[in-house]
Amino acid sequence: MTRANTMAALAFGALILAGPASARAEEPPTFELSIKGQAFVPGEIHVTAGKPFILKLKNENDAPVELEGKELKIEKVVAGKSEIVVRVRGMKAGRYLFVDEYQEDVAKGFVIAK
Amino acid sequence: MLGALIIVFREVIEAGLIVGIVWAVASNLAAARAWILSGAAAGLAGSALVAVFTGAIASAFDGYGQEIFNACILGTAVIMLAWHNIWMARHGRRLAMELREAGQEAVSGKRSLFALAFIVCMAVMREGSEVVLFLYGIIISNGATGASLFVGGLLGLGAGLLVSVLTFKGLLTIPMRHFFTVTNWLVTLLAAGMASQLVGYLQQAGIITVLDETVWDTSAILSESSVVGRVLHTLIGYADQPTAIQVITYVAVIAFIWSAARLLGDPTPARPSKAVLT
Repeated sequence: MTRANTMAALAFGALILAGPASARAEEPPTFELSIKGQAFVPGEIHVTAGKPFILKLKNENDAPVELEGKELKIEKVVAGKSEIVVRVRGMKAGRYLFVDEYQEDVAKGFVIAK
Repeated sequence: MLGALIIVFREVIEAGLIVGIVWAVASNLAAARAWILSGAAAGLAGSALVAVFTGAIASAFDGYGQEIFNACILGTAVIMLAWHNIWMARHGRRLAMELREAGQEAVSGKRSLFALAFIVCMAVMREGSEVVLFLYGIIISNGATGASLFVGGLLGLGAGLLVSVLTFKGLLTIPMRHFFTVTNWLVTLLAAGMASQLVGYLQQAGIITVLDETVWDTSAILSESSVVGRVLHTLIGYADQPTAIQVITYVAVIAFIWSAARLLGDPTPARPSKAVLT
């Protein structure tokens, strides 16, 4: 039992250590955007369908925001006046919504995959 | 105000349910309440710390610190939940009942309580930090209207607390002979759901890149961000757009806990006991 736990913990640790190293091997393209007040700039990001990409979001507000895109599988908090990156898997052609969850009715943007 | 209430409630509902379930599970062990409360208090303190260091956490590990941090928290919680279930199967329901009846604090019982308190702490810390950040954001960016939003947020927090109490009370009404079966399954499904969430974070960090296609999309029928969706998400790990690897992880964790509990479990059935949970 304890051994099983140790094994699970080790496997988990190995996964975490190995991960970033292997991810660095082939970096997908990065798309930068920022949020100021309630607006994402640019409000639309155009990406190639089926290809993974990286979103870099700069939060220019003093308040924190939470970047969320359900279909894009993004959920990440961005502290005030700072920036984050998220990796997005290759998306089928289409239009995908992302929001600042803390003001989701107004702060919206789209990823358009073609 | 209502908007803030809903946002906060949606964040705390998950922690609320987890605390309620764990509290009910722990109620068979001595001094359960003190442990659960300590866990929740530690979680609150932790959430303030996490909120303060959000920027630093996010920029760690090439910018994927937040995902790795969340994955570690979830991973530990999954191990603790699995361990508790297997411990319960091994040391028997009997032991847990006797511990409570006699008010003893056997070492093994204490260890299991520690694991449960730890899970409470982590659940509160994860959701709590987002609430802290949200309320902080309201205060610094909304000025005068901020006050009413802030009150809404606090009401949402109260509603989350109510969820804990209702979950706890609700589970205690389950007849004793079914209680362990129900809570064992709840804990197993909770662990499986958390494991699949963990995988989601590793995907977002680009650590797991295989089997990332969406298996089904039921967001039009039941959105995961609705209140019902959130409740089911926490209780049974419902996801409206899971990836293949998330579904596989979910099933694998259930299979692992179920079979480990059976393989390592105590074959003698529980001694029927009355009036333990009154």
